[in-house]
Amino acid sequence: MPGPGRHYRGNRKAANPSAASLSTVARESALALPDDSPVLAIFKDIALKLTARQDRHERLVKLSRDITIESKRIIFVLHSAMTKEANAKVLADANDRIQKLLNGPIKSIGIELEYSPAYLHLRAVTSGFQEFVEARTMFSIMATGQIITFPEVQKELEFVVTENDEQRKVVTMITDNDYMLGLADLTGELMRKAINSVSTGESEDCIQACQVVRDLYTGYLGITNNRHLLRKLTTTRTNVNKVEMAVYALRVRGSGPGLMAAGNPPAPDIDAPAGLSDDEGYY
Amino acid sequence: MCTNHVINSIFTEFQRNLDQEQDNREAIRNICKDISQVLREVTTILQVIHYNEDGIGPACVKARDLFEKAQEGYARLKEAVPDHEYFKYQEHWRSITQRYCFLIALTIWLETGILATHDTVAQILGISAVEKRCGFHLDIEDYLSGLLQLCSELARLAVNSVTRADYEKPTQISKFVMELNAGFRLLNLKNDHLRKRFDVLKYDVKKIEEVVYDLSIRGLLAAPDAAV
Repeated sequence: MPGPGRHYRGNRKAANPSAASLSTVARESALALPDDSPVLAIFKDIALKLTARQDRHERLVKLSRDITIESKRIIFVLHSAMTKEANAKVLADANDRIQKLLNGPIKSIGIELEYSPAYLHLRAVTSGFQEFVEARTMFSIMATGQIITFPEVQKELEFVVTENDEQRKVVTMITDNDYMLGLADLTGELMRKAINSVSTGESEDCIQACQVVRDLYTGYLGITNNRHLLRKLTTTRTNVNKVEMAVYALRVRGSGPGLMAAGNPPAPDIDAPAGLSDDEGYY
Repeated sequence: MCTNHVINSIFTEFQRNLDQEQDNREAIRNICKDISQVLREVTTILQVIHYNEDGIGPACVKARDLFEKAQEGYARLKEAVPDHEYFKYQEHWRSITQRYCFLIALTIWLETGILATHDTVAQILGISAVEKRCGFHLDIEDYLSGLLQLCSELARLAVNSVTRADYEKPTQISKFVMELNAGFRLLNLKNDHLRKRFDVLKYDVKKIEEVVYDLSIRGLLAAPDAAV
């Protein structure tokens, strides 16, 4: 290497005259580029591909956000069921909204990724899917008492698209990882549900929900070497503790509004759903 | 208890998939080890270009042979990666593939002085250049990353060719890299690894320009029209 310009920054001022000539050299070679050079043509083509990829990613992020927001609202609606009678109406409403979600943004994701590798854009859509799984499993557990399994969820994500009189099948791919992470979040919702049901006097619901949370926690304990799940495990553990404390209080102090809230001031009946925000840790 | 049964099956199923994934990764890792072995050989062989002009031709021939060997490895990799999951496992072969792109582009440049296209590189590796919903291919970002490595190597070559009194090569390199530089400027790069790698390019360009500049002020360049 020749001397001048070796320490780029330090010598910039001092080497000014030579820098001028240097840039002349640079400019000359830049100007020598023909407009129709094959290399530039190649890069123009690549630029199109990269931009298409980025745009697709952005669109997916948007869709994913839509799914997240709507799923959170569905969960909120599911929490609003206070009595057995209100339950049916709430479930119908939630079901409607889930169907709309499926045929709206979730289907759009499937169409968006129809010809592209899904794993490339996994990060764009994962949060939306997790939230959706949370809402969907919560709905299933309230409607049927069972948690909908991964293959069943995946099956709901198959759509038939009609275009130019031709029908074709479009599948929105969701990973089992997303499903499991959504299920981990479900424990938080069930915990809230259980505690709410204490305050509305449905002690049976509370004990059931408690058992489901326990079962899920047991399952997560058995999963090895998955770092995403490990991170959620602590939250799940907290949820188990909270729900078990609630059931304990129920047993020891007898069921009744306000009684379970160990350290809290006696709460009126209806404080539960209205006071709860999106915040998972609310107790 | 019936929920329990469903939950149980959910978790056993998931654990089974996890184990399957582990097995896949293990198999992929082993293949990548073989591929990178060949990669090291090619890298070593092509180092000759920095100190022995006459060695360049034979080195390219040898490199070409080894690329065929790499092709076998990639064929095995193609088998081992589940159809839809190229990008799930990509990290395993990503840097290896980038390096291959670099070495292939370098070989082709040494042979012909032109830029190896995405298609050509993919063809030499025996894989597809087209990104589809499923299947193995050469990711465009890996290809670009390889080209950026090529620029760094050529910057070094420009210096070393002057050392062995080859005053034409730097001009040729300068023209080539300037063209690539102009090309990369057309790309709308996100703030990712490719972008970081691209930021190095300007130093390579600068290094080459300095060599050409030194040659020009010492009158060591060939007549201007011959240099073009």
